[in-house]
Amino acid sequence: MQTTLSAEFKGTRDGEAAEAILRKCVHCGFCNATCPTYQLLGDELDGPRGRIYLMKQVLEGAEVTRSTQQHLDRCLTCRNCETTCPSGVDYGHLVDIGRKIVDERVERPIGEKAVRWLLKEGLTSPLFAPAMKLGQLVRPMLPDALKNKVPAPAGARAKVWPTRGHPRKVLMLAGCVQPAMMPNINSATARVLDAAGIQTLVAATAGCCGALRTHLNDHEGGLTDMRRNIDAWWPEVEAGVVEAIVMNASACGATVKEYGYALAHDPAYAAKAARISALTRDLSELLPDLVAALRGQVKPGKVRQLAFHPPCTLQHGQQLRGGVETHLNALGFDVKVARSESHLCCGSAGTYSVLQPELAYQLRDRKLKHIEPLQPQCIVSANIGCIQHLQTGTATPVKHWVEVLDEALEEANA
Amino acid sequence: MDTQDPVLARLLDQVLTAQQTQTPLDIRGGSTKAFYGGVPRGEPLDMRALAGISSHEPTDLVVTVRAGTLLSELEAALGEHGQCLPFEPPRFNTPGSDGGTVGDMVAAGLAGPARAAVGRVRDFVLGATMLNGRGELLTFGGQVMKNVAGYDVSRLMAGSMGVLGLLCEVSLKVLPMLAAQTTLEFEQDEAQALDWFNALRAQPLPITASSWHGGRLRLRLAGARAAVRSAAQSLEGVPVDANEAARWWRDIRDHHLAYFGIDAAALAAGECLWRLSVPASAPPLALPGTAFIEWGGAQRWIRTAAPATDVPAAASLAGGHATLFRAADKSTGTFSPLTAPLMRIHRELKRALDPAGIFNRGRLYSEF
Amino acid sequence: MPEIASAAAAAAAPPSDAAARHARQSVVVAALAAVLPRHAILSRHEDTVPYECDGLTAHRESPMVVVLPETEEQVAAVLRNCHTLQVPIVARGAGTGLSGGALPHRLGVTLSLAKFNRNVKVDPVACTATVQCGVRNLAISEAAAPFGLYYAPDPSSQIACTIGGNVAENSGGVHCLKYGLTLHNVLKVRGFTVEGEAIEFGSEALDCAGLDLMALLVGSEGILAVTTEVTVKLIPKPQLARCIMASFADVETAGVAVAAIVAAGIIPAGLELMDKRMTAAVEDFAHAGYDLDAAAAAILLCESDGTAEEVEEEIARMSEVLARTGTARQEISRDETQRLKFWSGRKNAFPATGRISPDYMCMDSTIPRKRLADVLRAIEAMEENYGLRCCNVFHAGDGNLHPLILFDANDLDQLHRCELFGADILETSVRLGGTVSGEHGVGVEKLNSMCVQFSQAEREQMFAVKRAFDPQELLNPGKVIPSLQRCAEYGKLTVLRGMLPFPDLPSF
Repeated sequence: MQTTLSAEFKGTRDGEAAEAILRKCVHCGFCNATCPTYQLLGDELDGPRGRIYLMKQVLEGAEVTRSTQQHLDRCLTCRNCETTCPSGVDYGHLVDIGRKIVDERVERPIGEKAVRWLLKEGLTSPLFAPAMKLGQLVRPMLPDALKNKVPAPAGARAKVWPTRGHPRKVLMLAGCVQPAMMPNINSATARVLDAAGIQTLVAATAGCCGALRTHLNDHEGGLTDMRRNIDAWWPEVEAGVVEAIVMNASACGATVKEYGYALAHDPAYAAKAARISALTRDLSELLPDLVAALRGQVKPGKVRQLAFHPPCTLQHGQQLRGGVETHLNALGFDVKVARSESHLCCGSAGTYSVLQPELAYQLRDRKLKHIEPLQPQCIVSANIGCIQHLQTGTATPVKHWVEVLDEALEEANA
Repeated sequence: MDTQDPVLARLLDQVLTAQQTQTPLDIRGGSTKAFYGGVPRGEPLDMRALAGISSHEPTDLVVTVRAGTLLSELEAALGEHGQCLPFEPPRFNTPGSDGGTVGDMVAAGLAGPARAAVGRVRDFVLGATMLNGRGELLTFGGQVMKNVAGYDVSRLMAGSMGVLGLLCEVSLKVLPMLAAQTTLEFEQDEAQALDWFNALRAQPLPITASSWHGGRLRLRLAGARAAVRSAAQSLEGVPVDANEAARWWRDIRDHHLAYFGIDAAALAAGECLWRLSVPASAPPLALPGTAFIEWGGAQRWIRTAAPATDVPAAASLAGGHATLFRAADKSTGTFSPLTAPLMRIHRELKRALDPAGIFNRGRLYSEF
Repeated sequence: MPEIASAAAAAAAPPSDAAARHARQSVVVAALAAVLPRHAILSRHEDTVPYECDGLTAHRESPMVVVLPETEEQVAAVLRNCHTLQVPIVARGAGTGLSGGALPHRLGVTLSLAKFNRNVKVDPVACTATVQCGVRNLAISEAAAPFGLYYAPDPSSQIACTIGGNVAENSGGVHCLKYGLTLHNVLKVRGFTVEGEAIEFGSEALDCAGLDLMALLVGSEGILAVTTEVTVKLIPKPQLARCIMASFADVETAGVAVAAIVAAGIIPAGLELMDKRMTAAVEDFAHAGYDLDAAAAAILLCESDGTAEEVEEEIARMSEVLARTGTARQEISRDETQRLKFWSGRKNAFPATGRISPDYMCMDSTIPRKRLADVLRAIEAMEENYGLRCCNVFHAGDGNLHPLILFDANDLDQLHRCELFGADILETSVRLGGTVSGEHGVGVEKLNSMCVQFSQAEREQMFAVKRAFDPQELLNPGKVIPSLQRCAEYGKLTVLRGMLPFPDLPSF
């Protein structure tokens, strides 16, 4: 669609970048068909096409108010629309710019600002882990809304970290909340890789991938996070010690794969960021190697029937599909994906489940309803957010697929 | 087609005079369907002089034909190219007559045994030229299935019983005649037959016609040779001799079967032939009389002397409607009554197309 | 701005200055607030602007009010109130239409039915599905799939378009040659008249009493009634479908092949042609393995479906005909995945051109099948003449052509040349025995063509039919049938060599 940037945006980096993306949109409306919020709300303004239109209005100099801000807030940033769009509209990048521009012009109510600040500072803070521990201690006494955010404490196995060294090495991002909330995912990753002859290294100074701050519109804070991680990984990367940077949370993986894009304008980091992004792999991308190495060792016994929920950040953000199901099935599991709506977001979407609980829980329930007919022994996914969010709505155990693989390995070795 | 054409000019004259004098006109083709619908009345307007095939494009699957053309002539011409009107329009020829016209066919909108498989008359009307009640020659639709013309008044003419205007010329979609045909017979009672239809409906079988009467079910399979063969094998019915089968379906189409011929005495005694159009999956209807079922259960004939309100009520309960097809007394009306909003629209449409109400008064509903 | 079609409506509308419109808006919003929850009414400009067009962005008009009812009672109440206040109503489904059928009225209410997205019932015995009007076309087939059934009409926008919209436009799709248009697959429609009175058209039986009003309703583009629920026919999913992808060294041969297939008495399940430029554009999106060989001037997708025996027989016949008429290369789909891939490019053809051009103008005309080569050659010459590229997609089965003229709207001269190019295509179509008609509906896009295609008496008759349903002409006024005034103005424009002047320019 043709966009006439107002004087304010003409010639600016954000303005020109947005205009280039807007040009591709032909307003066909196909994107609405796969947008979770459009399916729930049926309002053009709550679908990608309408949001694109709202952002176009702002860039053309129209008045913008809380209304537009709220419609942009409601977007899950699942990027399902990008998968559906035949014209190649880069919606994810556009909405980042749009949100930034709108937040600069529209004041949020003080309560909203507080929550957002708490999320971006709290989740990445060193105080998060002890707070989580405390929460876990008092979990039974917490009101439901908070209890939903506090997973049950992990078992002892979660602390077991492999001790062997291997010539093949990878770096793994531990993540900001993952070590405190679901530590078993990281250790299971390390154990499974170890069984396949790969050593997992964790850079002590790496922290949040930057998604939290970026998506809460603290772009500078997000870039700082990214630079810090690049600095933390660079020695190993430069020395050629590691063959990949492995991500077991697809949301973080999607973000790290975009470090190159995010830091393209930073002369000090552009090249390094591109290199880091090029090296980044979702854990599932290593599955072909894992299958080859583990095929004889794994014999799924107790837990075999799995339902896989592909996170948006995996299937749309990283455009990776079918890998988990195919390879776990090759290892003897029986993994199925829901017959309907497996492309739709579960509603977790980072901090979305805290900021937009009504929609988040509707989507969660809708997702679980489609998974239920599969009658799985365990629901597996590839991102901590999805796992934790889905678990709050079902008694069926919800885990990271690598945890289930790790358990099967342990069973086989016992 | 234009009003310079002498035949059309004469018709136009008659229409304009009738409009001015508010004289009802009885549009006639072959008069083979005069028994159908409301009783014809008014000054006869004979369409048969407006005859001839205007164009036939076999590779475009379309024929444009003047309304007064004999149906038999049209079908013969199509047959020469291996084409046909797939909906098998009935020929209710009275002995000694040339039969009905294309205009009759479209106006009555009746289709034969293949209806459930291929569609209704309206589905094959691509366009039409008509004279409205103001004597205006209007063309709607075209010669292609897909055209923009807003909403299609030409399709509305199908089944309109001539109340909206004088159909002058119509473009019809035609299809190639089907290669192979086989008819199978099964012994079943009415309930079994309807169950059987239900079971067959969702299967991809090349069934183009069906009938049930008096404990006997017949299915006609037609299409690609291999498909017909394999379907016949899986259905396991008793094959019917080809000639007998052809005769059977033709006699159903044209109502030459004994079932459809109620004699004068029976009619006088109050026996009627009703046509019920119901959802195909409707259960057997609780009505006295003898039934003849077609279209996979969607068209159910009944010969009965039941009170005139019972049959439409039963049809309505089943989600359909009833037509008093043949009866000695049609004073209670032929077609099922309409809801108030629909009747209002009908009357307004009649006014829009025939403001003086000269065309086929009362043939559809007594209200217009 | 779409003009108000009748004098009555014009008299009822207040003067078109901003203050008057604002006052009118307040009255209407107040009335609607009594029957709808607050969140279901949009009236601030910021909120209504995204509703200002459908899939045809060349025509835009901000609606005065947008309503998003959730129940049928609310729909009826909206209609009743708008009728009382004499407010124009424009119904809207997914807003994917390509002729501006959902273009709002400046002083009207846009009635969005997008929330009506519930499947009411799938009846696998009767082989019918009853769904609310906002249910997406593809979603009907998805709901029917567990029973081995599907809904046949498959417009290219089927992922997003609603069945209510399909009813309004009598949508077709790749498979309509064999399985019919929406009209042939809809049994019953429930909805409301302009006055908010419940009404039902058609029946779950194969016909209903009285006039066949369904034949009027389907394709009436929202000007006769508002649809809220649709019952459609479902058919068994074909056991097997296989698609031949045939490439041709020149378009003449492609045209001959198409005619030969129909002449052989074959009715393919789908018969679609893409020219070289279009194929290249969609290959980038679909990665379907289209023949991008320099020698391939056109790609034909020819599909057969049915039982395994039927398909084997038909594919053999099709293949033989194609070979006989000089196909350069034929590839028959190995499996379902590949078959879907062959089609994915065709189905995404229009938006995929967004990848190779900032803007495009999609034309929609019908020509006699046998003149395809002539039209395509003429378009090639026009590309030279106007200095713009044009991709072509052709529903070879029914002669419906979609030239997509590529241009950059930022360059006003290109925009102007694009319109001339479009007009030239329409003129050529007519000259070769075709029509300016097609399948995207009239909406506002083809209003001028309606002036040419229909006589004054015919247009007036269509208005009279419209008024039988909607005497005050409140439903989607200014669409489909051009007014006498418009045609008079149009007639005054210079007509060169029988050329049809271009559609109205957007003013933005």
